[in-house]
Amino acid sequence: MRIVIIGAGMAGSKLAEELLLKQPQTYKITLIGEESKAGYNRIMLSSLLANEITPENMALVNVQAMQQSGLEMITGDAVQALQLPKQQVQLASGRMIQYDKLILATGSKARILPIEGTDAANVMGFRTWQDVDSMMDLPEAQSVSVIGGGLLGLEAAVGLVKRGHKVTVFHRSGYLLNRQLDEAAAQLLQTRLESMGIEFRLGESPQGLIKHVSGQVNGLQRPNGEIQETDLVVMAAGIVPEIALAKQAGLHTEQAIQVNEQMATSHADVFAIGECCEFQQHTFGLVAPIWSQIAVLVDVLSDQKAEFSIQPTPTKLKVSGVNVFSVGQIQPKKNDHCLIYQDVGTNQYRKLVVNEGLLVGAILYGNVADGSWYFQLIQNKTNVSDQLDRLIFGEAYCQSKVA
Amino acid sequence: MAQAFQKTTCPYCGVGCGVNMVLPSADNDPVPPVSGDEMHPANFGRLCVKGSSLAQTLIDHDRLLTPSIHGHSASWDEALDTISDKIAQVVKDHGPDAFAFYLSGQILTEDYYVANKLAKGFIGTANVDTNSRLCMASAVVAYKRAFGSDTVPCCYEDLECCDLLIMVGSNAAWTHPVLYQRIAAAKQKRPHMKVVVIDPRQTATCDIADLHLAIKPGSDAAIFSYLLCHSDRANVLDHSYMADSTSGFDDALKCAYEATPSLSSTADFCGVPEEHLTLLANWWADIDKTVTFYSQGINQSSSGVDKCNAIINCHLATGRIGKAGAGPFSITGQPNAMGGREVGGLANQLAAHMDFATPGARDLVQRFWQAPNMASENGLKAVDLFQAMEAGKIKVVWIMSTNPMVSMPDTAQVRRALEKCELVIVSDCKNNTDTTTMADILLPATGWSEKNGTVTNSERRISRQRGLLPAPGEARHDWWAICEVAKKLGFQSAFDYQGAHDIFVEHAALSAFENDGTRDFDIGHFHSMTQAEYDTLVPVQWPVPKGQPEGTKRMFTDGQFFTSDRKAHFIPITPVLPQQASNQEWPYVLNTGRVRDQWHTMTRTGDAASLARHTNQPYVEIHPRDVKALGLQDQGLARLVSPSGQAILKVKTSRATSPGQVFAPIHWTQAFANASVVSNLIPQVVDPLSGQPESKHAVIRLEAIAKKVLFGSILSRQTLDLSDFLYWCRIPSEHGFYYEVALSSAADVEKTVRNLTLQTGLSEHWLEYQNPLSGQSRMAWLEEDQLALLLYWHSKPNNLSMDWLVTKLAPDSRVLEQERLAILAGSLAQAEDKGEIICSCFQVGSKQIQKAVAEGVGSVAELGSQLKCGSNCGSCIPELKQFIPSDVEKSA
Repeated sequence: MRIVIIGAGMAGSKLAEELLLKQPQTYKITLIGEESKAGYNRIMLSSLLANEITPENMALVNVQAMQQSGLEMITGDAVQALQLPKQQVQLASGRMIQYDKLILATGSKARILPIEGTDAANVMGFRTWQDVDSMMDLPEAQSVSVIGGGLLGLEAAVGLVKRGHKVTVFHRSGYLLNRQLDEAAAQLLQTRLESMGIEFRLGESPQGLIKHVSGQVNGLQRPNGEIQETDLVVMAAGIVPEIALAKQAGLHTEQAIQVNEQMATSHADVFAIGECCEFQQHTFGLVAPIWSQIAVLVDVLSDQKAEFSIQPTPTKLKVSGVNVFSVGQIQPKKNDHCLIYQDVGTNQYRKLVVNEGLLVGAILYGNVADGSWYFQLIQNKTNVSDQLDRLIFGEAYCQSKVA
Repeated sequence: MAQAFQKTTCPYCGVGCGVNMVLPSADNDPVPPVSGDEMHPANFGRLCVKGSSLAQTLIDHDRLLTPSIHGHSASWDEALDTISDKIAQVVKDHGPDAFAFYLSGQILTEDYYVANKLAKGFIGTANVDTNSRLCMASAVVAYKRAFGSDTVPCCYEDLECCDLLIMVGSNAAWTHPVLYQRIAAAKQKRPHMKVVVIDPRQTATCDIADLHLAIKPGSDAAIFSYLLCHSDRANVLDHSYMADSTSGFDDALKCAYEATPSLSSTADFCGVPEEHLTLLANWWADIDKTVTFYSQGINQSSSGVDKCNAIINCHLATGRIGKAGAGPFSITGQPNAMGGREVGGLANQLAAHMDFATPGARDLVQRFWQAPNMASENGLKAVDLFQAMEAGKIKVVWIMSTNPMVSMPDTAQVRRALEKCELVIVSDCKNNTDTTTMADILLPATGWSEKNGTVTNSERRISRQRGLLPAPGEARHDWWAICEVAKKLGFQSAFDYQGAHDIFVEHAALSAFENDGTRDFDIGHFHSMTQAEYDTLVPVQWPVPKGQPEGTKRMFTDGQFFTSDRKAHFIPITPVLPQQASNQEWPYVLNTGRVRDQWHTMTRTGDAASLARHTNQPYVEIHPRDVKALGLQDQGLARLVSPSGQAILKVKTSRATSPGQVFAPIHWTQAFANASVVSNLIPQVVDPLSGQPESKHAVIRLEAIAKKVLFGSILSRQTLDLSDFLYWCRIPSEHGFYYEVALSSAADVEKTVRNLTLQTGLSEHWLEYQNPLSGQSRMAWLEEDQLALLLYWHSKPNNLSMDWLVTKLAPDSRVLEQERLAILAGSLAQAEDKGEIICSCFQVGSKQIQKAVAEGVGSVAELGSQLKCGSNCGSCIPELKQFIPSDVEKSA
């Protein structure tokens, strides 16, 4: 079976590896990557930027080994078009590749704010190894503006501040990580990051980027009209699924490429996984559901039954010394109740959201060791109504009751 | 190096156990735990929980160390001058009866003796009454009516060798635990021995009972009236004994037949099943060796004297007195109620078991004392005394070693009386009792283990309490303070004692003075005893007349009594119910009593944290049916209202009390809880003969406290002013201060927290936990890693153990990083939650016991070998049995 995977990011390269591991003889796989480096672990970019790991630790899959197992790896020759009726993929070089099954794993790109000046060379995302390389090449003590106080933006900010730069984070919401934390936890995080030297401008979106005659951006206009000087702008204000090829080929897309429980798109023999796909109005930015998608697709391709479903996914901030854990529905709705533990002295915070005897969401700041246990309770829909008095104190206090 | 132990006597109940004490090797070391004296005939080495914890009560907390006048420190000289000047003035202006002593069954015989001598012989008033009035005054009058003397006929051995033991109005398992243990051991050894408990409540004492008669409150006399009739019907009267040694039987029997003509009428009057009464009557008829064991349940009654005589009548009619294993045995509640009786330290006594009415007695005592101002008639008994004080007739009162603001009925009246009194002198060891707050002059007294003297227990046994530790601060012996005032009043020679020994010898001499066998109380053997002999006195039962140093085990063995005709007198008894009956307005009957691990008003036991674990808060026991009907919540709070006052107590649902009746322990004072003084509820109803208050009976109303009440537990390094709280109770703890509290409304919590942090000087709180689902919130403040203040709030009553948290208040305790979460969780994750402490000796809790039982432990003995619970003092055994399923079935 000829399988063509477009996208050699984490989803695409991992899928290739899984297929090869499962039935190396059955598949003839072609993996087409846009970036010069393929199969690396994108999650580790922030650690790389923060100098916590070296490039050797970046590999997600062993591309060389896969090539020895028969994988065809194509880099530097982007896909130009999909010719679905012919079951062909057209590359920039003009080469046509025939497939039996096509998998789209085109990922996403950084969302660029719709303001003036974003086309300058010193305005970048924080998505690729190339982005990190550029940041590592910066001269010392630059002023960097990070747009977005989400997970990615904060990881970039920490990496950059550790490299000696002066970093200011602009965040549209009133508090950091507003999709993962509540205000109290965010405040603890902010205080901690401020102590590392990062400045925050909360509730602020830059109104425009001011270009110097050189064409480089050297200033950023704040809502109050003031100009903040900057040597580099990092866009981390969300991601946009990369769906141009799919759209052009006539696949059903909304925010992203629509897939069903088997990861199939609207066209037979075409599948989509990862950040470029959309399932039941969900898009994906975290790795855990994507691994599930890969597992489903591996089964589907070998004619086994499998169904993908949406599961809560814990998120962590990868900043060493700063522990944040968030999972599930963390903003209480009607009929939800919040259990809260806070230790101002040592910056510990826990919030659990409970609904009808079930744990539905958790935020941990500081000591996050119980995160995985809370995640299990959420995932398994364990009834916790008889341990609500101990729940927030963690697994050790509830052990006897939860077997 | 540990020293050899010293022998002394326990200062708690009337059992009077011998205690071995090892002195600390260095001055500032704590006293090591005490042990029971194996040689002492009261306890043979046993001690109850309270006694075992005596060393833990020897602490500096709240100790009164200097005299004060109107709140200002003063020298002893200034204080004694002020006192004697004032006494002299009021005696001159208003006569001697304007002065009164209010003493206590806790002071020693020697203290009692000089107080009585000063008042009755030198100031000239018989206004010397004592808290013993509240304890056994009815028993005294009944003995005197029957025997012509206040003579306890029996000895403890009788409790072990009788074949039928009727325990009435006594929860000895908790109030006289060592006697109870002796009885339980005897019954185990002699299984044919029957034990009957007569008590409206099912108490721990019922654990060893073959029969429990849950009578209507106060109906006891009818049982004995019926037994007298039954003795006649069953033909077990001892006619020859009656003929030789008694008089008045016919009238008494006639009266009994009128009062309790039939089984059904008696069973109906007492509210007991006929078959229970029949069973008791049959045992009474069939079993000759019978002891009736009675205590406050009989005495604290508006007809207490009659109840005692109803009991005595039965024993006289069957000749069950003056023999081994037989007799009417009144057990006193206090360590030296008996000693007080012996010196005549009650308003209706003169001295040495003589009364004002005893022919020639006043003259005899006057001559012996060389007294210039002999009182000539009875003084005022406790309740009358405080009423006279309120009426302005008593202008100076000297209260010694007792806490009438808690122990006397109708606290509001006692307060009014003390407010009215021109000079209130209080001698105490403690700085802050409900009564010391009313004092004009406070005198620091030496306490147990610091003072020398004698006490007499319930079987007439005189034992030494020994002064083994130095007096702290400026504390002085009570006898010394009294004698100093006497000397300042001009009675130098009569009060020039060098020590307790001098006083005891004089007391012994008076007992023998012109006695010649006419008076029961004669300890003439000690008349010439030396200081060394006094110091090594071994426990001995009086009478100890000259030439009979071994003392007297049992009285009336010869059938001779101390009445004018030398015969014992029957008293015709018509049983009556308590004076106040419940009605629509006051629908519930309140019964009062004690908890296992506290004693009196907690001025001593309240200092031992280990003793607080069994029952840490004041409570009211209510039948589940009433709990439901009143909309009360188990472990929540109820307001008890009586015509004289009110109290707020924790609700304890229990089938031990019957519907319509509730029970509350008496111990908690305003020093420990803001609103739980049970004596507030008790009316000043007394027995007309003994003056003993009907403290076990009040009619009340019960009210649920609003549902929005917020409960709390507070730990603090410093004392807190909790006057804004609906309810607070300070629970003795090893470290810091532990309070259980309630706010009227959860809405007050923010203001309250702010107030507490202001008081303690703490700012923003450092840890917080909110759980709206169970209505919990918890807050903690730390100062340099030390726990400073901890607030736990809960919308529902909560029994969380604070034991581990309290350890974090220890001066050197640090809250480690990994323990911070535990501070709000209430325990370390791995720490075992013991549950409520059942065994105080080994601190074994309910949850540990439940676990052991679930794992197959099937008997109390096995529990003992596995967890040690119940294997020391054994006072928790009745409760332990409730955990063993087969035992529960047996008792159900």
